Amino acid sequence: MKKIGLIVMFLVVAFTFSCVDPEITDAMLDGDVIFDPSLYTPENYLVSAKYPNPTAADLNRHIIMAIHGYSSTTFEWQEFADLSVDSTYRISQVLLDGHGTTYQDFKASTWKDWSHAIKQEYEKLIALGYKKISLVGSSTGGTLILELVSSGYFNARQSPKNLFLIDPIVVPSNKVQTIAGIVGPMIVYIEVDQTAQEDKYWYHFRPQETVNELNSLMKVVRKDLEEGVTLPTGTYLKEFHSLHDPVASTTSAVLIYKGLKTSTGAKIDVQLMDSDIHVFTRLSFRKNVTTLQIYNQQSAFAQIASRLK
Amino acid sequence: MKTFLILLSLLCASVAHSQTLKVGMRVQKTNGMYWENGISAQYTFANFKPNQFFIGFDFVTSRLGTAMNSNAIKQDNYLISGSWFFNKDKQYHFVTRLNFGYFYSDLEEEVFDEIPNTSFLFSPEVGFTYAFIKIPIALNLGTGYYILGKEEGYSPGTLQPFYYHLDIYYVLFKNRSK
Repeated sequence: MKKIGLIVMFLVVAFTFSCVDPEITDAMLDGDVIFDPSLYTPENYLVSAKYPNPTAADLNRHIIMAIHGYSSTTFEWQEFADLSVDSTYRISQVLLDGHGTTYQDFKASTWKDWSHAIKQEYEKLIALGYKKISLVGSSTGGTLILELVSSGYFNARQSPKNLFLIDPIVVPSNKVQTIAGIVGPMIVYIEVDQTAQEDKYWYHFRPQETVNELNSLMKVVRKDLEEGVTLPTGTYLKEFHSLHDPVASTTSAVLIYKGLKTSTGAKIDVQLMDSDIHVFTRLSFRKNVTTLQIYNQQSAFAQIASRLK
Repeated sequence: MKTFLILLSLLCASVAHSQTLKVGMRVQKTNGMYWENGISAQYTFANFKPNQFFIGFDFVTSRLGTAMNSNAIKQDNYLISGSWFFNKDKQYHFVTRLNFGYFYSDLEEEVFDEIPNTSFLFSPEVGFTYAFIKIPIALNLGTGYYILGKEEGYSPGTLQPFYYHLDIYYVLFKNRSK
């Protein structure tokens, strides 16, 4: 009888915890006041929205779709967009589905939802007649690009010209993340230590459901890489990874390098950066930015831009 | 060399006085990561808590698991352990164990030389063992958690903390307690 009582008590406690929502303020992206600006003015972010009737000269330009990471927004690629204002290529900053609105929207989303916006913009650009489309993804954005490759999404469509991955996550650095499925229902959400400015562009609270979704995505991609993945014909890929990435383990770079080959069977390009920050291409709102961090960012941007000429 | 011979003699003498020696295979899965299989050995001494205190050696590797014929990372775990078996006079035992060891992952390419690929291991473990009476076979189910102290980004990525395993032992000899 005592055992039954303990079980009932455990279930009640577990249920109570699972109903707890974090204390969200209006100053956070998680709330219902601050949304990603691409939702209000998509023409400032998406090439397909800004140029719905492209000219022949427009269609001759390189387009690079910039994909942000888990719990982030289009802001993650704003520095690259600002740097590229006078360039010949154009940037399409994609907001992943389930992101950029409320905590509840984020909580309800799956990794397949996150991927939907990438496919939507890619297909719109093809339909408009663009021939030179590339993609760059940071963190989970990179993982989502890898999943599109490994699932054969690009095989039935026009091949992307270039793929660039910045600190893609296939294995987490945080050792507790792999047991999120076990402890998740008890912790409900993870609070992130970030500044008030960052709170406007990255979720302050990460629902455990979304951590599990991220784990599922990583598992799918890791399995595919273990079996071997081939890039679409003519597609170039380069991966950049911080040597001591505190979020996406640098071992991810090894798994991608071992598991991914070009259409001719050649190895992909990989570069390890002397860095200990995650998504080293985003320096806005970081504290104590060093000369080396700026050099790493500019080096990656320059290499990406050089492939878009 | 002299020291090595002395240690070898002591080890042989210990085994000769062993109450029980069992060797077998281990099938291990790390939660959210690889299957890593290998060998396991456990022995207990006649003159120190026989059939209650065991010392052990385990070697598991992804080479005999997920990395076999795949692009998964080849990694090895070497462990020594001390175990305490409860219910010593019964066929089944609840087991607590402390493991110490070393982890190595083979990243193969020179470009990855700077990535962390080794780690010391320490893990508490709990389990359940069942020893058959009529056949010299024992089964052990265990689960443990590696306590990894290094800062995030400074330990091997494919070393994840929570694991569970099944050991199937053949009991090489089992002397009766006096």
